[in-house]
This record gives sequence, C-alpha cells and structure tokens, in this order.
Amino acid sequence: MIETIGVKREFRTGKDTVSVLKGVNLFVNKGEFVAIIGPSGSGKSTLLQLLGGLDVPTEGSIILNGSTMEAKTEKQRTIFRRRNIGFVFQNYQLLPTLTVHENIVFPLHADGKKVSEYDVQKLLKAVDLKGRDKWYPHELSGGQQQRVAIARALINQPDILLADEPTGNLDRRRSSDILDLLSKFHSERKQTIIMVTHDMFAAGYADRVVLFKDGVIETEVRREEDDYAAFLSRFMA
Amino acid sequence: MSVKHSLLALLYENPGHGYELKTGFERLVQGMWPLNAGQVYSTLDRLERDKLVESPGYDEKDRKLYVITELGKRELWDWLKQPVARSLLKDEFYFKYLCADLVDYEEKQNMIQKQKETMIKDILALTQLKKQMNESQQYSMKMLIEGALLHLEADIKWLDMILQD
Ligand SMILES: Nc1ncnc2c1ncn2[C@@H]1O[C@H](COP(=O)(O)OP(=O)(O)OP(=O)(O)O)[C@@H](O)[C@H]1O
Ligand SMILES: [Mg+2]
Repeated sequence: MIETIGVKREFRTGKDTVSVLKGVNLFVNKGEFVAIIGPSGSGKSTLLQLLGGLDVPTEGSIILNGSTMEAKTEKQRTIFRRRNIGFVFQNYQLLPTLTVHENIVFPLHADGKKVSEYDVQKLLKAVDLKGRDKWYPHELSGGQQQRVAIARALINQPDILLADEPTGNLDRRRSSDILDLLSKFHSERKQTIIMVTHDMFAAGYADRVVLFKDGVIETEVRREEDDYAAFLSRFMA
Repeated sequence: MSVKHSLLALLYENPGHGYELKTGFERLVQGMWPLNAGQVYSTLDRLERDKLVESPGYDEKDRKLYVITELGKRELWDWLKQPVARSLLKDEFYFKYLCADLVDYEEKQNMIQKQKETMIKDILALTQLKKQMNESQQYSMKMLIEGALLHLEADIKWLDMILQD
C-alpha cells in the first residue's frame, strides 16, 4: 500500500523558491498498476523520487507498506528501498564503472543477499541482453541501458516497482516485451506498479491512470469506468 | 478465401471430420471467429467438388472423414505463396470520412473523436488479450495482436491528423 497525504515539495534556486508539488494525495492499493501521465515539468519524476524514498517532502507524509518515509533517516530509507522497491530512473542511472552484470546485482550485494546466477540470466534474457554481462554502460545504446536499469529494478523481486518512463527509449517491439514482462511480475507476484509514461500503449496495461498537472493530481480514472477510453483519448496523443 | 484454406491446412497432417475441423478452426483463431457447422459442411462440399479434398469413408461413429488431395496441397502452397495487398478502401471509416464531406456533416469532428475512442477501447481489449496469449504461450496469436496494435497506433495518429484540420 502506498499513500501520500498533502505532499508538497519546494526547491530553492538562489533566492527563489519553486513549488513543484503542491499537495498530492494519492492512494495506491497493494497489487495495483497505476500509470501517471501529464505534461513535462508537472512534477511526475519529483513525486516518484519521493515515493522511492530518494527524497523527502517539504510538507506532508508518505507511507509505504505502513512505514512513514519522512520519519526515517536517510540510511533507513536506503535500506527500506533496497528491500521493498525497484526503481527505474528516467535517465537510467547505471553505475559507469560497473559491468551490466554488476549493475544488475548491485541491489542484492548492497543488501548482503546471495545472488542467484539463474535469476540474473533469466532477467538478462527477459530484457533481451543475453551475453552482454561483461559490457560497460558506455558501450551500450540508450535503449540497452534502459533495459539494464529495468533488470536491476526487478532483481530483488520488489513489492513495489516505481518506473519513470521505462519504455521511453525503446522501439515498439522491445517496449512491448518490457511491458509484458512488467505485467507478468505484476500478475504473478501481486507487485504494485507505478509507472510514469507518455505512451498510450503503456497506459493500456494499467488499472488506473492518474493525470498530473502543475504539481497536483488533476483527475484520475479507472479501467472499469465508462469514460476510460475517452479520458485517454483526451489526454494522450 | 481464409476458411477454405484453413480447413485445407487443418487436414494437412491428418484426416478429419466436420466437427473436428470446426473446433480446430476455432482453436486456430482463439475463438474470435465462430464458425457455424453449416459453413464448415458447405465449404467441405465445395472442396470435395473441386477435388481439393476427398472422403475415404466414415469413422466408427458414422462421421464422414476427409483427407487432403495432392491438388489440395498444391492449392494450399499456392495460397501461402501469394502476398496479400492492402486495399486503401477496405476500412469502412474511410468511407464515412469521404461521405461526411458529401453531406456537409456537422458532427464530423465528433465522429472522428468517437472513432478514436473506439480504437483506444480496441487497444485496451487487445492488450488484455495479449496478456492471456502470453500466459498460455500462444506465440503466433500474440504476434497477430502485436500487428493489430501497430495498425491501431497508425490509425490513431491519422485520426489526430484529421482532427486538426
Ligand atoms: N532539484 C531540483 N531543483 C530545482 N528544481 C527542480 C529540481 N527537481 C525538479 N525541479 C523542477 O521541478 C519541475 C518538475 O520536474 P519533474 O522532473 O518532476 O517533471 P516531470 O513531470 O517528470 O517532467 P518530464 O515529463 O519532462 O520528465 C521542473 O520544473 C523542474 O525544473
Ligand atoms: Mg520526468
């Protein structure tokens, strides 16, 4: 379960304070697949960072599986994240000095867990990167790096997957494979997924679509509602 | 025609009777194209008349059996070999778009908008179906759905294009 209560986030740049999130109230049940859509700069990535415990709100509260994130120290949040959350960054954020294999198993290593080579190979195959184990991020294309980031987010079989445009740099074929993979994790493991996307086809996998605008949730609609298609038609190109 | 050739393909390995072919066909299309028994029998009659199949007799339950002939196999190969052209006007919506101008249809924008919504509904339904095909490992059907999704993507781009003018 994920809940945000009146979440605000302000940033200081020089003398100015910019208010990026202006009171976000979001409730996501365990096992739900939610797509967040909205214009560039509306605060989607900022919210995802907060949900992932990578940042804390200026005001308001974030509760993940019953734990209040802003009450934790940074170290506690990091540990919590490693055990419960898979995070796919919009700009991948692979560690440049580590190989593909090392990047993928990093969350397990950091948590002192054993690595199952079988699981790693299975994931590498699922993201179509078989045989690239020893490559370094700078030797990979943007789309390939994105797929490494997805494998890394899934390796610890997290309860919660937060994915920031996970198919943004992929061709339709690969993007479809990745979405099928996420959807498989979602249905087999009752994983909760929150995915930021601009892609109607990606949103087609979700149970609910949340429209973000100017730092707040403008509206949301569930798949079973009659106006789901009309909503997507209006807000997605 | 696709039913005719599908029946030939279903008979390619083994002889079969009408009911078997009906269920075989429905399995092939994952139940998305129900055939009635009459359609199957009339198609088989025509195939037999054209010597593409023949009957070696009846099974123990007195059901007429069919086998594919050499001529039938050749017909099947020829059909597989022929590429299929896409016709520009195969889509009924294209006609609505052309005819709306003829009658100065005031609701044209709305008509396009509704069409887009319908296609999005199709995307949602196909995405669900694709999940099922993934789970049951129906690879060919899954790839057909991928193809249909790509077509829908293009259709939606086009609808957005004509919505703007
Ligand atoms: N650390 C920061 N310092 C100052 N401003 C920031 C910071 N992080 C984000 N912002 C501002 O917050 C706003 C929202 O950014 P965010 O990355 O959340 O948008 P987004 O909805 O993810 O957009 P996109 O679709 O382009 O990825 C932007 O105007 C950005 O400049
Ligand atoms: Mg972003």
